[in-house]
Amino acid sequence: MTLTMGFVDHYAILRVPSTASDEQIREAYRLAARRFHPDANKAPGAAVVFKDINTAYQVLSDPAKRAAYDANWQKRATDTPGLVVEPVFSRRKVRKLDEPQLLYVLLNIQPTLKTTTAPDAPLNLSLVVDHSTSMQGPRLQNLKAAVHNIIGECDEKDILSVVTFSDNAEVLIPAQHPTDPREMKARISTIRADGATAIFSGLKAGLAQVERNRHSRYVNHIILITDGRTYGDEDDCLRLAGRAREAGIGISAMGIGEDWNDRFLDALAAQTGGASAYISSPEAVTTFLQQRVRSLATAYAERVQITVAPAANVKLVSTARVSPNPMMLDADIQPIPLGSVDGLAATRLMLQFHLMTGAAEPGEFFVGRVDVSGEVLGSKYRSERLVLDLTVEVQNELPEQEEPPQTLLDALTRLTMYRLQSRAREALERGDITEATRKLEYLATRLFENGAEELGKSALHEARRVAHTRRLSDEGAKQLKYGTRALWPFLGDSNG
Amino acid sequence: MVKCPYCRHDNLEGALVCEECGLNLWSNPQVEIPTRELADEANELSVKSGWGTATFQQRNQIIIHIRDAAEPLTIAPTGEFLIGRRDSASGVEPDLDLTPYNALERGVSRIHAAFRRGDDVLSIVDLDSANGTFLNGQRLAPNQPRLLRDGDEIRLGKLVMHVYFK
Repeated sequence: MTLTMGFVDHYAILRVPSTASDEQIREAYRLAARRFHPDANKAPGAAVVFKDINTAYQVLSDPAKRAAYDANWQKRATDTPGLVVEPVFSRRKVRKLDEPQLLYVLLNIQPTLKTTTAPDAPLNLSLVVDHSTSMQGPRLQNLKAAVHNIIGECDEKDILSVVTFSDNAEVLIPAQHPTDPREMKARISTIRADGATAIFSGLKAGLAQVERNRHSRYVNHIILITDGRTYGDEDDCLRLAGRAREAGIGISAMGIGEDWNDRFLDALAAQTGGASAYISSPEAVTTFLQQRVRSLATAYAERVQITVAPAANVKLVSTARVSPNPMMLDADIQPIPLGSVDGLAATRLMLQFHLMTGAAEPGEFFVGRVDVSGEVLGSKYRSERLVLDLTVEVQNELPEQEEPPQTLLDALTRLTMYRLQSRAREALERGDITEATRKLEYLATRLFENGAEELGKSALHEARRVAHTRRLSDEGAKQLKYGTRALWPFLGDSNG
Repeated sequence: MVKCPYCRHDNLEGALVCEECGLNLWSNPQVEIPTRELADEANELSVKSGWGTATFQQRNQIIIHIRDAAEPLTIAPTGEFLIGRRDSASGVEPDLDLTPYNALERGVSRIHAAFRRGDDVLSIVDLDSANGTFLNGQRLAPNQPRLLRDGDEIRLGKLVMHVYFK
């Protein structure tokens, strides 16, 4: 199943006016082919973009097809689109240089009209809850309380299901409107801890529940809560997440305690653009779950995805979501799923490009194309498609230094700390203790510099630990990862 | 290229944070530390007045004063310059053999440390020596190169030396 996209504006994709002559269209196609044809541009995003360009050209270069398309084009929705993408550049002028140079672009994806009240999107939600033996005690008690709380928060237009799993999955509450919350809560109270953690069975049952009521005007989502590692079925889980993405269903993952596999849960959430979180104490589970469900309910647009196609002489070296739910994104698989765009806060991505300007003529330099699509929920439901070309200016002389925008600098500072943390872990996995220790020490310095005392101390502590024992503690590794990630959103989650 | 003032990493033009150590390069612009002013030739040997320069250019040489030794040594390291103690049994041949300076008694390892020449910098690295390498009193973590500055004190085990850039 693929997402139903709205009207595709072939003219916008070829960057020509609707009155363009055949010759202009051919010319525009040639330019686009030079930029994005797979023979000339190996970037994963370029192939995606070129496919659309090709389709647009097939239609617009054929007089009969173009006439039929134009009839529809006249009738397309011409009011202001629901979403807007705003790029913030680290600089607008670069120099002609034989070596690669860096350009940062912060992308703000947000509703066109700033809303003052939170949108209240209807939820089609499945809570997939681990009740394996290790959940016994405070974890399970707190988790039950957290689920009770969610049942209380849902209103009658929402659809909720609860799946519990250990060795096998059980649909404890089949998908339904919460018309009888007391009955639902009573069922939750019957959950007992036993068995091992087999996440796949739980996810599969949860997905089936959400699929039953899947609706394009709903936020269709699964929240997985676990405290353990799953054995042998991780690949199955990731494939299942891929299927969920195809169906427009998001997955968020929450890990309680220290034993769960953070990489796996992150990868699982990233498949659909969902969130992942580390819950260090059982008492925090209510807050985390509530926040997650509330942020789902304030979704303004769902099933948002982005394709980034750098020019052939440009390399996309890093892609990260800065807010909300900060994480590194895998740009090898495009389009990149972003999940939902919140009605109250912008979704922010940080892109880092290497520009090769050695052969460029002075003047406009094409960095790449960004293509964002998604579905605006609620009464104004429609699908959106935004195509944006990023350009800078090349000069022969070294341009006067531009002051980089503060929002970009702030985002970058925090992103850097997260990356130091992940590089330390990578070095450790390669067995490079020296490098891992050094990166952790750098991380500590940066954390202290930015006033994150406690996290800085953990980083130092882990640095010493690595130097002596050659490994990070499970707890420390997660604390640093999710701690440095939690630093990101503090800077202007507001639309500024 | 933008050289990080904190860790000397060469970053690409346009970099706003150092790729290596995460320093904000925008609010910490590149600063060159000037060569300290020397009162006279004699002072140079005994007084370490603040930081010396870290710049070590291609034509520069190192003068090494080993404590209690009569003559300073002058060396022109290329690439990696091994410091240690010659040992014919194991075939160890360091570039700088400290045997004449009571290296064995003073706890110098056969392969103790090395100078490394970088782009306009010189660093020292401890090669997992038994008794450690100390830079200005601070013990170096093994295999982690540290930048040398003009006038720095190096201690290998109990053998103390000062390095000067010429």
